[in-house]
Amino acid sequence: MVSLKNSWLYRVGLVVLAAVMVEILSIVQYNRVREALLQETELRSRVVMNSMSEVIQHSLERTEITMRENLWNVKRSMAHPDSVFSAVIRLIDDDPNAVGGCLAFKPNYYPSKGRLFEPYASLQPDGSIRVEQIAGPGHDYTLNEEYIWVLENRCTSWTDPYKYGPDSLAFTTYLSPIYDEKGEIEAVCGIDIDLSWLGDTLNVRQPYPSSFGLLLTQEGDLVAGPPESRIPASEVQKVVDLLKGVVSESEAPGISYTSTRLFKDPYWRIVEVYKTDEVFARVRRQRHQQLLFIILGLAILAFMINRYARNERNLRVASEEKARMGAELEVAHRIQQQMLPKTFPPFVYGSLEPALEVGGDLFDFYTRDGKLFFCIGDVSGKGVPSAMLMSVAHSLFRILSHKIDSPSKVLEYMNKELCRGNDSNMFITFFVGCLDLYSGELRFSNAGHDRPFVVTKDINLLSCKSNLPLAVFPATQYEEQSCTLEPGTLLLLYTDGLTEAKNMDRKAFGRPRIQEVLEQFRTNDDPSLYNLVSTLSEAAHAFAGAAPQSDDLTMLALRFDADHIRRDQITLFNQEAEVARLGTFIKDFLAPLELDKKQAAGIRLALEEAVVNVIKYAYPAGEQGEVLVNADTNGQEVRFTITDSGYPFDPTTVLEPDTTLDAQNRPIGGLGILLSRRLMDSISYSRKDAKNVLSLTKFIL
Amino acid sequence: MTTTIQETDERIIAILSGELDTAAAAQTEKDLQPLLDSMGKEIVLDCKELEYISSSGLRVLLSILKQAQSVGSRVVLKNVNDVIHDVLDISGFISIFDIE
Repeated sequence: MVSLKNSWLYRVGLVVLAAVMVEILSIVQYNRVREALLQETELRSRVVMNSMSEVIQHSLERTEITMRENLWNVKRSMAHPDSVFSAVIRLIDDDPNAVGGCLAFKPNYYPSKGRLFEPYASLQPDGSIRVEQIAGPGHDYTLNEEYIWVLENRCTSWTDPYKYGPDSLAFTTYLSPIYDEKGEIEAVCGIDIDLSWLGDTLNVRQPYPSSFGLLLTQEGDLVAGPPESRIPASEVQKVVDLLKGVVSESEAPGISYTSTRLFKDPYWRIVEVYKTDEVFARVRRQRHQQLLFIILGLAILAFMINRYARNERNLRVASEEKARMGAELEVAHRIQQQMLPKTFPPFVYGSLEPALEVGGDLFDFYTRDGKLFFCIGDVSGKGVPSAMLMSVAHSLFRILSHKIDSPSKVLEYMNKELCRGNDSNMFITFFVGCLDLYSGELRFSNAGHDRPFVVTKDINLLSCKSNLPLAVFPATQYEEQSCTLEPGTLLLLYTDGLTEAKNMDRKAFGRPRIQEVLEQFRTNDDPSLYNLVSTLSEAAHAFAGAAPQSDDLTMLALRFDADHIRRDQITLFNQEAEVARLGTFIKDFLAPLELDKKQAAGIRLALEEAVVNVIKYAYPAGEQGEVLVNADTNGQEVRFTITDSGYPFDPTTVLEPDTTLDAQNRPIGGLGILLSRRLMDSISYSRKDAKNVLSLTKFIL
Repeated sequence: MTTTIQETDERIIAILSGELDTAAAAQTEKDLQPLLDSMGKEIVLDCKELEYISSSGLRVLLSILKQAQSVGSRVVLKNVNDVIHDVLDISGFISIFDIE
């Protein structure tokens, strides 16, 4: 939990750190861009202003030229007062910017015209030119500052902008003195210029919606500005006031400007005004976009880190899980192996070599009632599921064959049980056999398994019907077959792990090679089944070479060994004295087996108790009866069969006496049957042909 | 099957020899009758030479034990071999006899 929290904190910290770094980077970058942009903007407005000043200068010069070129004409026209009017009209005609022209004479220049005389031509909205004499009591130009200034300074001058009325256009006038022969100023000539076009020219191309150009007088008064339609006059006035210093910067925040001055009269200032916000709006927008991208990137990064960490953790968990599974598989494998027989009598040997993982192979055998029950099987597929199914099959075989002698019945019940809930569609090939170790009779039934080899003086495959494998179809009927093996006959059962052991060229080991080994084995010095199975295994491994073992390699070999089969019998009368004869018979029969004293005594005692029981109780008192005792051995077990024609009596059903009671309460009877049961490995009773047949078996290995 | 009885002041010792099977049980029971007459003495059954015993033999031993216990005598089995021990074990007699 601690490490989890730490790793969480660590990850979040990492992302936050990254975010902070990116933000710092972004701010630094923003400021740099801002600075660069400011410089760029200033540079650009300077360029614009320079070109503007040139345009303005040029147009002003144009007026100045018009004035210069017209001075001689004006002067000539002054010879007669009426001709002056045409001269002022020409001023307008010659200058496209001119909207008016005037000539203000020194007082009393023309005595006929009175003290003041100022002919004036003005351009009308319809394009016509109106001419009039405008001087009078309401308009005394001799009081005009500009007029006076020209007279005093004796040079040309541009007037400050002015208006004739609140709604009139703004004008400026270029004034030039006119001298007489003596150098005295006789009159002042003026050309009016409408300033609104200057404002339009200045604002024709502005980089930002709210930026604008201004033309100011030297004193800072507005000459021309943007048209009202673009920027409100109040806004313009605010900037003018700011530049004049009437308004402090705090009252007009975010306003930047660059300015330049016309390099000669009228020395007006051209000011380019822009809002800082607007200049940076795009950068800021870009910065915000950039930030958004970065944050998005960081989020993706965080997500990826998180995913990576989770995957890492999952991987660790998975590998731990895998290790645990591996350990469990190992356990499963051991359990599977432990279920297989590990001790072998000389007439049976089996081996199972598992492939890398647990597999679904099985072999098993055991002896019961003088019969060898054996099986071999192979579950389709590999791994734990097939191993588990095989375990179930193994248990079923053990349980069923303990009660049922018929191999086909065993298969039938196994099949029914295995079909139940087999959703995974696995199936099992299975072979069940029952070999009578005394007679050599082999009964068998095959559920789709490979046919075993039968080795006599020839080598053949056991001729057997191949029924459906187990766990396929619940109603499958398994055919039972039988044959009698000659003494010495060898039976080899195997799974496809042997026949299909593959080499590097993907060739299978195959039956012919098995047959070859079996052929050679007949002349082998060591005829043990262990040797046979090992030889086969070695041959298969040698064949496969470096190719990995892909399937379980399972073999079961058995031989009907008649060498140790021996039989004897004795008939006793129902008299207790006969027990002595029985004792001798048993001792003689057991002698060649060279059993240890205790085992021999046990067998004898069990037999004696069983026979005494018959002698005492089977026949009515006083009636003579016979007791037939058959003794059989095959080298692995001894089997006694007691047959009598007395009352039907099954001693195997008698309850055992309580052996824990004290001496006084200890019953006298029942001890005999107890001893028989305990000392033998199996006792079975049957009633055949009005005879009691009691069979007692003891393994002697 | 032979039975030899030796008597001292404190005990009666019966030496069992051979095979105490069903056939021999009746005779052995008769042979051991003196053990039941010597009231109060400790009864020792020496099994050194006893090679075999059947349930009939066990029955003989049990009847001796029952009668001895009714008069307060102890019954001790001595020198019991593996074969006999096994049978005593299976039959549960091991818990009712004193075995030395």
